[in-house]
Amino acid sequence: MIEVNGVSKAFSFPDVRRDTVREHVFGLFRPPQFRVLSVLDAVGFAVKAGETVGIMGRNGSGKSTLLKIIAGIYPPDRGTVRVHGALTPILELGVGWNPELDAIDNIYLIGCVMGLRLSEIRTGIDEILAFAELAPFANLKLKHYSSGMAARLAYSVAFKAVREVLILDEIFAVGDAGFTLRCEERFRQLSAAGHTILLVSHNPEIIATFCDRALLLEGGRILMDAPGNTVADRYLELLTEPAEIAPEPAA
Amino acid sequence: MTGHHLAGFAWTLVRTDFKTRYHGTLAGFFWALLKPLIMFGVLMGVFSYIFASTPNYRLDLIIGLFLWDFFGEGTKAGMTSLHAKGFLLTKARFPSWIVVLTSASNALMTLGAFILVIVTYLALDARLPGPAAIAMFLLYLVQYFLIVLGISLGSSVLFLRYRDLNQVWDVVTQAGFFIAPIIYPMAILPERVHFYLYVWPPTPVIQFSRAVLISGTVPTAKANLFLAAVTGIILATGVLVFRRYAPRAAEYL
Repeated sequence: MIEVNGVSKAFSFPDVRRDTVREHVFGLFRPPQFRVLSVLDAVGFAVKAGETVGIMGRNGSGKSTLLKIIAGIYPPDRGTVRVHGALTPILELGVGWNPELDAIDNIYLIGCVMGLRLSEIRTGIDEILAFAELAPFANLKLKHYSSGMAARLAYSVAFKAVREVLILDEIFAVGDAGFTLRCEERFRQLSAAGHTILLVSHNPEIIATFCDRALLLEGGRILMDAPGNTVADRYLELLTEPAEIAPEPAA
Repeated sequence: MTGHHLAGFAWTLVRTDFKTRYHGTLAGFFWALLKPLIMFGVLMGVFSYIFASTPNYRLDLIIGLFLWDFFGEGTKAGMTSLHAKGFLLTKARFPSWIVVLTSASNALMTLGAFILVIVTYLALDARLPGPAAIAMFLLYLVQYFLIVLGISLGSSVLFLRYRDLNQVWDVVTQAGFFIAPIIYPMAILPERVHFYLYVWPPTPVIQFSRAVLISGTVPTAKANLFLAAVTGIILATGVLVFRRYAPRAAEYL
């Protein structure tokens, strides 16, 4: 269902960042020095239809970048990604609303981006609001929402939008116990219904419980590809070891 | 995304842009009309004395101002459109040109309201030009929109890398207001500089629109071809720049 072949991604940062025309004009005679931070290095794996695969790794190990490349938000520098089916990504939730619009209009915007048709949003909006327990605040502008409320709304829309493949970044990290339970319940339903799921989490318990298989990322490489609980244990060991993050200077 | 889906998305973008800008009320929309109208009042008060001998100076001025307003507002919104909708770009993959395309909708609505008013005025004054002239006017507006779209497409991706591009553009448009013959009749300038003024895209659109609307004369074929060529060049350049930089847009947000 998902095929990732030799995907590499590096971000280059100038030592002195130039974000403006002025800086570029005045910096013409001082060529910028770039530092290249390799985030992913020849990552390859495949996910079968109906499989739930977890991804673990320390901060900066490349998890989120990998998800963004699979979702098509970032292009890879090298390598290919093939997804055979409609994909719904749930990334960076809680940030990314128009604060001047109310919940309903924001649901329409995000819903469209996630691949829902207007008619689907119109008929599903009560369900979305109910799942997030935000029906009484439907006409409240997002700027008045707490971060927890905003994140609940985001999950709610995404769960509605799921087609075949679901990509999740740090699920279950938001909301109160009741909401987390409902998310887990919905997650089990989706998995049981045969959806293919790719899931990033720092929580070993979640990976061990929900995933058929998991990948452990370290320094942009896959360190381990094994059953969920094995990877969860290895991840906990890894946390006590020193990190080795070394930005390589460009040629 | 299918065409049907894309249309629904475009409509949602237009609707929410309108709501954000004017708080969802028609009264809010009148503020957008008020800006060029007040400019008209002030400029009229001063310049109609200077150009008292110019026939139709008022009509020339108001047509020029509203067409200019569309250019200024449209390109401004277009340049910052991807940045403003960055919260959507980092969420999922979708054709991001739709965001740029719909960014001109507010400016387009102001222009639409103005066209309604000016055509009604001309009709009441029994000076409405023939259908051929009206058709030409609409053709100029379509080309004008494509010019604004081309500039918006190119500048929207460049703005993500050069964050002071909007200030550079502010200076350009401020100078451009005087390069286009909006408050002065072009005839006061020597013939030899006319060509240079016509290179600035709003100039031919404003001049040709005045010609067809007020005197009902259609510009020469050569003049029309010139405008079509300018439109083509700007749109093609914008599309090329957009196609080159848009895939990595999310990395620059």
